[in-house]
Amino acid sequence: MVVVAAFTAVALCVAGVGGLVIGPTSIGVGRVVGSLFSYVGVGHNTLSPLQSAIVWQFRAPRMVLGLLAGAMLAVAGGTYQGVFRNPLADPYLLGVAAGAGLGATFAIVNVGRGLATPAWTPLLAFVGAMTAVTITWLIGGRALRSNVATLILAGVAVSALLTSAQTFLQQQSSVGSITRVYIWLLGSLASASWSSVWLVLPYVLVCVSVCVAAARALDVMSVGEDESRSLGVPVRKVRFVVIAAASLGTAAIVSAVGLIGFVGIIVPHIVRLLVGTSYRRILPISVFFGAAFLVFADTIARTVIAPSELPLGVVTALVGAPVFVLILSLRRPVSV
Amino acid sequence: MSVIVHGLTVKVGARTLVHDVSLDVHAGTWCTIVGPNGAGKTTLVEAIAGLRRPSSGSVSVSGQTLAEMSERDRARIIAIVPQHPVIPSGMSVYDYVALGRVAYHGLLHSASAGDKRTIDSVLDRMTLGEFRHRDVATLSGGERQRMVLGRALAQSTMVIVLDEPITGLDLRHQMDLLELLRSEVADCKLTIIATLHDLSLAGQFADRLVLLDGGEVVLDGPAREVIRSDELASRYGLTLRVIDVDGADVVVPVRDRSR
Repeated sequence: MVVVAAFTAVALCVAGVGGLVIGPTSIGVGRVVGSLFSYVGVGHNTLSPLQSAIVWQFRAPRMVLGLLAGAMLAVAGGTYQGVFRNPLADPYLLGVAAGAGLGATFAIVNVGRGLATPAWTPLLAFVGAMTAVTITWLIGGRALRSNVATLILAGVAVSALLTSAQTFLQQQSSVGSITRVYIWLLGSLASASWSSVWLVLPYVLVCVSVCVAAARALDVMSVGEDESRSLGVPVRKVRFVVIAAASLGTAAIVSAVGLIGFVGIIVPHIVRLLVGTSYRRILPISVFFGAAFLVFADTIARTVIAPSELPLGVVTALVGAPVFVLILSLRRPVSV
Repeated sequence: MSVIVHGLTVKVGARTLVHDVSLDVHAGTWCTIVGPNGAGKTTLVEAIAGLRRPSSGSVSVSGQTLAEMSERDRARIIAIVPQHPVIPSGMSVYDYVALGRVAYHGLLHSASAGDKRTIDSVLDRMTLGEFRHRDVATLSGGERQRMVLGRALAQSTMVIVLDEPITGLDLRHQMDLLELLRSEVADCKLTIIATLHDLSLAGQFADRLVLLDGGEVVLDGPAREVIRSDELASRYGLTLRVIDVDGADVVVPVRDRSR
């Protein structure tokens, strides 16, 4: 446990600094750190104005947004796995991805003019994601009295419906729009800016805190609904709060960075294999592990074939899958 | 802390599983519910423990109606040992028993020193001390059942409801578990409502037997009388003999040789 926590902390620092230092324009670690200290009045900034702009206006917000996205997606995935007691659960389970996809496609196809992805895209993606989860909840939420599987199935149905609407919209639009929709769907941190960081930060802080605070409740709920109620847990209230927090945070992240796959399902499983089945360990560690993992993956995505970029979702899967298989083969079987 | 069940009816869809059951179980006594499969025993004890909302009627403990309470308040008054408990693989025995204290320290705080003392004392009484770090999934049937009972005892309630607590245990472990419960009743004025299939053990350990059939109470009285009733045999559709062995009533089914 201590070893894993220490490793995660080190990985987070390495990924964070790497996110600032590594790139087509090579800038040494010392000078970047020196520049950071100069902002708080210690030492002198030795970076040229151009290097400063590259580090602090491009790489830094991108790195920070990556930390936030990785943390949120990982903790949301772990939370969903706990609340649904289902190892296949990921943050997109209840229709967040399909709803955001439809919203973003609508923005790009109907609102956008010219080549750029319109400024409305994040807002419409967010509205789409929250609408989708709300519909899923209205269909499946009543069944929560007896069976969470109904909510999952409602999510599958809503996702299928919205994805078909999104595909239709996309198919009706111009070739240029199709490309931009496709790029958006794959997810990317390339458009990160400080304003997008400030926009998602409150959502991530609140939603991650709620999920981590619910860890003890998720541990109790591993004995099933009836028994956890008899032990004093208001199961339906906990489910509502936790699902709302995980979905809201995921919607905020997806609206800013698109659909980054794999982090939400794989990170909590890797952490579970390393620290055991208690969510009081899994969720806090997943926050930091997910953050480090996504920044690490993004650094690879933007450097391997620079100046163009690999889709981030491709890298998360490419890095995550072998690591997961390796740990899986070394440790005991997965149980949730 | 007497338990008063008043006119309890539980319906699922159009089917009535429990119909107009009234019981008055005095504090510090043991009441066992017997009856054939499908009689509604499990539904009844789940409703008594507050896990099922009754269609009509009520359950109250010391004058407080369970249906009107929050889960947390209820968990400090009545505990249940379910027939098929979920065993969360990967959890330690200590953490499992500690689940019984959640209703006291809450979902946002960790166990207090007092909570830990209670958990240690329960582990000790259930002779689970040496297993405290073991994964719950690795226990034998007898150890597992003691652990589930330990979780219920850790809730420090005055009433415990048990649904078939000795199913799947060998004779020795059956007797051990029931003796453990009997001593909790004697030492802590615990009130017990249990369902049991074994009529001989039911008669030996309970102060009172209730025969349930078709969701209704057919017989209700001191164990000795209910065991010897002709009604009991006819509800099971069997010929039963009751043999007195050193003061204990042993119920034996007799094969119908004319068939």
